[in-house]
Amino acid sequence: MAVSRRRMLAWITGTGLVGSGVLSAISNFVFIKPRATYGQPQRFSIGKPDDYPAGTRIALDARRICVVREGNRIAAVSTTCTHLGCIVGLADTGFACPCHGSRFDSDGTVTGGPAPRPLPWYKITLAPNGEIEVDKDTEITPGSYLTL
Amino acid sequence: MSKETASPSLLTAVKELPGNVWKSLFRNPLPTNDLERSSTSFTNFFLHIHPVKVHKNTLRPSYTLGLGLISFFLFMILVVTGILLMFYYVPSTTQAYDRMLDLRGSVAFGTILRNMHRWSAHGMVAVVVMHLCRVFLTGSYKKPREFNWVLGVVLLLLTLLMSFTGYLLPWDQLAFWAITVGTAIAGYAPIVGKDIQFLLMGGSTVGQEALLRFYVLHVAVLPAVLTLSIAIHFWRIRKDGGLSRPADADPTPPMEMAGSAADPRPSTLDGKKTYGLQGLVRGPLTKVNNIPDNTVFSWPNLFMSELFVFVMTLAVVLVLALLFNAPLEEPVNVMHPPNPAKAPWYFLGLQEMVSYSAFWGGIGVPGIFVGLLLLTPYLDRSPKGVGKWFSRDRLLANTIFLTFLLANVIFVIIGTFFRGPNWAFVTPW
Repeated sequence: MAVSRRRMLAWITGTGLVGSGVLSAISNFVFIKPRATYGQPQRFSIGKPDDYPAGTRIALDARRICVVREGNRIAAVSTTCTHLGCIVGLADTGFACPCHGSRFDSDGTVTGGPAPRPLPWYKITLAPNGEIEVDKDTEITPGSYLTL
Repeated sequence: MSKETASPSLLTAVKELPGNVWKSLFRNPLPTNDLERSSTSFTNFFLHIHPVKVHKNTLRPSYTLGLGLISFFLFMILVVTGILLMFYYVPSTTQAYDRMLDLRGSVAFGTILRNMHRWSAHGMVAVVVMHLCRVFLTGSYKKPREFNWVLGVVLLLLTLLMSFTGYLLPWDQLAFWAITVGTAIAGYAPIVGKDIQFLLMGGSTVGQEALLRFYVLHVAVLPAVLTLSIAIHFWRIRKDGGLSRPADADPTPPMEMAGSAADPRPSTLDGKKTYGLQGLVRGPLTKVNNIPDNTVFSWPNLFMSELFVFVMTLAVVLVLALLFNAPLEEPVNVMHPPNPAKAPWYFLGLQEMVSYSAFWGGIGVPGIFVGLLLLTPYLDRSPKGVGKWFSRDRLLANTIFLTFLLANVIFVIIGTFFRGPNWAFVTPW
């Protein structure tokens, strides 16, 4: 059946109006999604190895990592809870989250609570100037230390 | 121009000025007869949302407990105190907390305004939930009020969101860790979770952008949506025939008029004819002098009850605000969450559930719960037991509802009293 001109114009108008409405709604989401964010640098230096004596676990809260040194091996474990992003505290048995009770052993393996994943370990390198550099963008297998 | 209608002299105009201004504002004198009582509601914008007459059942305090009204009045108190607080608040991570201290220290009435705002918000969450319970336990979500129930559930969610976005603004420890946890829960939503989390935080970490976003949601977006939804909620009450009441609360109309009562569009309506408003009104066309009905005039019966509820609500909020100070925790310390980090009481049930599973506690179970609430009137379609508390006809539905409610209350109690440092189980005695 032939579509009358009036019907076709009505259809085009309707589609145009609804389409513009949908597009403007989507454009709101595009608008509120930031194109650039200004976060902390993900690669940073944490000082000389001598600052971390053998056998210590030192939490650098501002960086949200814990530096673990055993003998001449050193590693950086995340202190951001994999459950809901609270910062875990050092406990006798490893790490404990104050918000929802997740528990991790000193390697970051989940030992209790709702955390779905172990705490990630970050890549750690010795810079030419002798300082330790942590790269939070690169996760490594838990248990792999840097030998000094 | 003819001089037949002599215009009054300037002196007369001045003398009659107050009276004339009054009469231009209020079209009716204080009513002395039924006609004027009708006009009072009918010709005033603010009273016009009310019907001219209301059913006596609506005015029974033991039926509604005034909970819907109290929620609305608390919302009004929140709007007024909130606007005042906006004069001193700055949504900046470096200034917000200092502004809270200013409110406490150097702003006239600052403490009491903040207290009123906080306690009204807590009260509104509690009263909205109780209102939901009242409506459920009296079966008032049933036809034709299904959609108003849905709107009510939406209003509950908006109330919770308003509350959540609100307690983030002081930028104290509670605020920071609640944004961290709240946005992380959103991140667990399937498919769009990570995008929603990014949009809420305005970045990949919680900071200035997140605070600004929650501020805009709290003072502009959510109040606008909430106000519109409340308006529709109220409008629907009238369109659905006022508040629910038991079937035997109305006298049966004489037989010859009974036909159209059940049918929302009487068959006599003809699509090709032009109708005035009265042609579309449901039910028996005229009641005047025919049926003794159980209605009373809104003026003064309903208005006086409302005034009473308002004064009581305001009084309670004022007393609470004078006696108890709104909490303000330590300033944000990005490095150390308080231990234990606890949400306000109404979210502790959620926090307790989240401490078992982030997805099921934060998204899955609440999602199913809200879904069931929204679908309630479409699942329970039996018309029985409307307008009566704990009707025997609704034993099953009420039992299921109370079970859910009790489960949440138990979770809240566990979260409040039985959780200590590192969210470990403790006994409060």
